[in-house]
Amino acid sequence: MSVPDDRPQPSDHRAGPAFWVSAALGWTVIAVGLRGLLSHRIDTRPANLATFVAGGALLHDLVIAPAVLLIAVALTRLVPSRARATVQGALLITGVLALFSYPLVRAFGLATHNPTSVPRNYALNLTVVLGLVWAVAAGALIVQLRRRA
Amino acid sequence: MSAGETPGHLPPSVRRFTTDCDLPLHQAAYQSPLRDERLAAYLGASLGVLFSLCFVTGLYSHLQQHPQSWLPIPARPAGLYRLTQGIHVASGIASVPVLIAKLWLVWPRFVALPPVKRASHLVERVSLFPLVGGGIFMVFSGVANIAQWYPWRFSFTAAHFWMAWVTIGALVAHVGAKWAISRRALTRPSRRPLLAEPDPVLGTVADRAAAGGSGLSRRGFLGTVATASGVLTVATVGQAFPPLRPLALLAPRDPAFGPQGHPVNRGAVNAGVVDLARSPDYRLTVGGLVTTPLSFDRAELLALPSHEAHLPIACVEGWSFSAAWSGIRVRDLLARAGAARGRTVLVESLEPIGAYRTSTLDPDQAADRDTLLATHLDGQLLAIDHGFPCRLIAPNRAGVLQTKWVTKVTVL
Repeated sequence: MSVPDDRPQPSDHRAGPAFWVSAALGWTVIAVGLRGLLSHRIDTRPANLATFVAGGALLHDLVIAPAVLLIAVALTRLVPSRARATVQGALLITGVLALFSYPLVRAFGLATHNPTSVPRNYALNLTVVLGLVWAVAAGALIVQLRRRA
Repeated sequence: MSAGETPGHLPPSVRRFTTDCDLPLHQAAYQSPLRDERLAAYLGASLGVLFSLCFVTGLYSHLQQHPQSWLPIPARPAGLYRLTQGIHVASGIASVPVLIAKLWLVWPRFVALPPVKRASHLVERVSLFPLVGGGIFMVFSGVANIAQWYPWRFSFTAAHFWMAWVTIGALVAHVGAKWAISRRALTRPSRRPLLAEPDPVLGTVADRAAAGGSGLSRRGFLGTVATASGVLTVATVGQAFPPLRPLALLAPRDPAFGPQGHPVNRGAVNAGVVDLARSPDYRLTVGGLVTTPLSFDRAELLALPSHEAHLPIACVEGWSFSAAWSGIRVRDLLARAGAARGRTVLVESLEPIGAYRTSTLDPDQAADRDTLLATHLDGQLLAIDHGFPCRLIAPNRAGVLQTKWVTKVTVL
């Protein structure tokens, strides 16, 4: 695919020495890591590890990001424009908290039979935290609407 | 809004300058005021700081667990490891929303065309695989590990350690590639650029919020990401920082929950030591380079001169607590056995197998006044999950190296 000439060419700048020095340094460090991964393959299980590394990136790029895009589109249809920013913010925080809490809520740590794993009711606690987030969001919305009224 | 359509309220010149030639689709197809180089630079710089903190503190934790004779671990300050590992886990947790936001901003570039323009562009794009794959993996594996969730077959510590080199290497290459553009974006006056100013890197369109549109503005987005980081931090950091313990609703561990009011990383049942620790045949022996090998049964162990020390125990998983431990000083034990000063000491557990069944004390740690074979925690006999009949407790030491169920001390 060729790029029309009249468009700006942001990445057409020539790479300077700093680019190549940091690329060389960076790839040397990457090589150290890859060598370590391969020379400790009994512990690192490179094939299994590779599925998690590639899987994480693909899961984000092909599932999570498009899903967020769909939610964003739905928001523009369903939420009045005045409330949209606040709802977007609260949804973003909700998503992050839910992702982080997922292994806690599912209580995967119980599998280790450690008597001190999973010390809390994380489903309840997540609900409490999300309740606070949405209460703050609702408060902010009310303030905004009053100000504009 | 369909591809190719121009936002009605923007003049054509803006459309021209805000169309990123790197993007395969017309910018208007997924225009967002958020895909902005200044915002990307802010998030990138924040991630750079958080990942660097994680890397440096992670290296220190690795050094603790893989001691090097040329770089002995000092005994003081006693709470150093508690601080560094607390920072490691807290920085990792705080980076979750920042990483997600950063990926969201640059995601359209995933499908940028043409894929390669020249050699430097190829190098830059290839470096994104270890950066994105590594960044997501490091954060995911860390979060899963502190929740003690192991959906994989590799060793967490080995994979997390070596992938950290891959990720930080990719970060170095990426910082070099983005240095000029980030500097320009971050040093630009904070006022919005003129609408007609070419700002094509991430395909900025005019700020629709400012133009009477809706949705999060850049400032709002950055504030939301910071809030998400803050909420996550406040809801978890109490596992290492006592004043915030009441707020630690989402912390994987509670420093006040467990036998004797404190958590453990591994219980006696898991370690397979319950019968051995309770057996009347239990002995603590001191041997190796000593003039008088020693052996104590449980009653003799309890009769030894006891010293009390207030020391933190800090787990690699990020939780920690401080407590009063008492038992015989290791240096007193070594003196009794006639060991020379300045030796390294190997401490062995009753555990039949496991990566952490032994640990070594560097000479500085072995000689410290607070390095104990503790028999009591907070004035009570140790619970079996805490290491009964006796456990090692020493200053500035990773929790997994505070060997429990100690049965053998060898002077090397």
